[in-house]
Amino acid sequence: MRQVFVILTIWFVTIFFNGLAFSENILENTPEDINVGLDDLDLDFKIEEIEKKPYSINVDIETKETLRIFNRDALLFKQKYLDNKKEDTAWQTDLDLTIEGQYQKDSIKLYGRFNGLFYYNDDEKWESEKKAEEAYISFQPSFLWAFDAGKKVHKWGKGYAFSPSAFFARPKDLDNPDATLEGYYSLSADYIKSMKGFIKTIAITPVLMPVNRNINQELGPEDELIWGGNFYFFTFDTDIDFMFLISDNLNNRFGIDFSKNLSPSFEIHGDAALIDGYQQYIIDELGNISGSEYTAFNFLLGLRYLSTLETTYILEYYRNGQGYSNLEYENYLTFIERGYNQYLNTSSKTAILKSKTYAAYYNQQAAMRDYLYLKISQKDPFGILYFVPAITFIYNLNDQSASITPQITYSPLTNLTLDLKTRLLFGAGKTEYGEKINMAKIVLSLKYYF
Amino acid sequence: MKKIFLITWLCLFSAMTAFALDGNEILKQVDRNLNPESFEMYRKLINIEPDGTKKEFVMFSLKKGKDKIASVFLSPASEKGRSTLRIADNMWLYIPNVGKPIRITSLQSVTGGVFNNSDIMRVDYSAEYNCEKIETTDIGYTLYLKAKLKNVAYETVTMFIDSAQLLPNKIECYAASGMLIKNLYFKKIKNFGNDIIRPSIIETDSPLYKGYKSYIVFANVKKKELADEIFSLNYMSKIDGLR
Repeated sequence: MRQVFVILTIWFVTIFFNGLAFSENILENTPEDINVGLDDLDLDFKIEEIEKKPYSINVDIETKETLRIFNRDALLFKQKYLDNKKEDTAWQTDLDLTIEGQYQKDSIKLYGRFNGLFYYNDDEKWESEKKAEEAYISFQPSFLWAFDAGKKVHKWGKGYAFSPSAFFARPKDLDNPDATLEGYYSLSADYIKSMKGFIKTIAITPVLMPVNRNINQELGPEDELIWGGNFYFFTFDTDIDFMFLISDNLNNRFGIDFSKNLSPSFEIHGDAALIDGYQQYIIDELGNISGSEYTAFNFLLGLRYLSTLETTYILEYYRNGQGYSNLEYENYLTFIERGYNQYLNTSSKTAILKSKTYAAYYNQQAAMRDYLYLKISQKDPFGILYFVPAITFIYNLNDQSASITPQITYSPLTNLTLDLKTRLLFGAGKTEYGEKINMAKIVLSLKYYF
Repeated sequence: MKKIFLITWLCLFSAMTAFALDGNEILKQVDRNLNPESFEMYRKLINIEPDGTKKEFVMFSLKKGKDKIASVFLSPASEKGRSTLRIADNMWLYIPNVGKPIRITSLQSVTGGVFNNSDIMRVDYSAEYNCEKIETTDIGYTLYLKAKLKNVAYETVTMFIDSAQLLPNKIECYAASGMLIKNLYFKKIKNFGNDIIRPSIIETDSPLYKGYKSYIVFANVKKKELADEIFSLNYMSKIDGLR
């Protein structure tokens, strides 16, 4: 009931603020317009977009209802809740507001994107979060040069779902790789040069990222100036990037990526990254910790193919050199199992709490070594315009567990998007997806852009 | 007998005239008449569904040379800031949320509906097609064009040209199988100033989308000197700043 109330409230607010837009569409859809022709259209192209204003503000509001169906037998469920959670399902209502604004005067631009999230669930009741996802000043003295200072997203790499070479960005959400990310505070520049030879374009992007107790503190405990850069080349119809990052907190990183169309409907891409001195912590089935330091090698190979029926296939193989082997991951889950049994038998939480200490490593997305990602989407099936059904498979090649996500996206009105997504997890006992907290997650969202 | 002789002579004359014409030169001239080498423009894309529902997009575009075009969406709000870039047969889409350019194909559609990327990121026809055959008609020429590369959006194109202005009236777009994919009708010739006189509206229909119609409306087409660096991936997020 609560959810229905919230959704109705949001719809009311949306319609209230956009009454004109909705009424315009309703009026436009009168039967007289069914056989609309050239003479019936207002083609006097007098629109305000031609008159550029120095500032612009865009707002989008999204309401989201999420139903999680728990896997009560899963070890990660037991690790998180012990036996304190009686419900089989949990609801969450989200109200997400994003405001994006920019002001440009000659070669100076101020840009900001701010997000406010209000959410309700049974565990936390009403909570809110707010953050500046990006906020920076940009100075562009010429076509060749641009300088940015502030909080900015630097997304490098060609992978769709995975980004091993996105050294200066937060990790993508595998569930929603297109989602906006929050940036880090940085100073960066862009130098672009077009040429006539076999290298058509080069671009150099140096980045400086300070870490201290006031900014970027999540990047490590030590104050330092992380620095790095990206070198882009466009040659032989191929995009190629070389990138690096120098840091004590994050370990030095070196990467390369490429993307090329083998034919207009068939694209291949790849990313590779070396992480020097990566420290991996491994917990055995008895809870003993061992660490090993090595140079991690992460890479992905992917393709994007568009069929003549306008079906798009995105396929990626990802090798996570920082990930755990099958045995290492199984040992972690066995330790949770032992800890849970210890809790049931003695009420001692010592072992289960110890396992939680390493959850940040083991419970993160794509924590193991080899994954296949496949997304298939169909444009406008059954003659329904702006309707896109899709299905996404993520397959863990090490333990044969998987996640399957059917999804439909529909934009029936300008600036309105409906999205229904169901994520189903499959896997045997002591596998990554077989032991996740949820066995299914259903998300319905409505998004409106102002 | 005189009539037969006259008809035969006329047929031979028209065939010889057509043979003497260079279709590729005419195509290049059509390209130049449609737009200058280097220019900016605003376009409104209108998709109309069989029930009359309309969806509109406004784009600002910059084109340089035969095969470079960059655009940014100005409206609707859901698409604002998205930009596209085409260099020859390479196409990219930049979505502000995603934050990095991704490669796309000519058959896809960044707007949905009848227009595909090839229509929206149209480069010179002479950059993409060779004229294989030319016919003269009552009003001008018919050019039969074949794509220089395989697997493009339209394998062959038939262009009906008004010889008075050397501008197309209609273009038929065919798949490799010979199936008609789309018709483009060039309408409402307008003087945009600085000797730019071209159709201001392209109307589109497709047997694949029965009952649907789409229009591209052109405005503020202006010659403009543009740096090559604008047509690069790193510049895609900054195109709006050039307005």
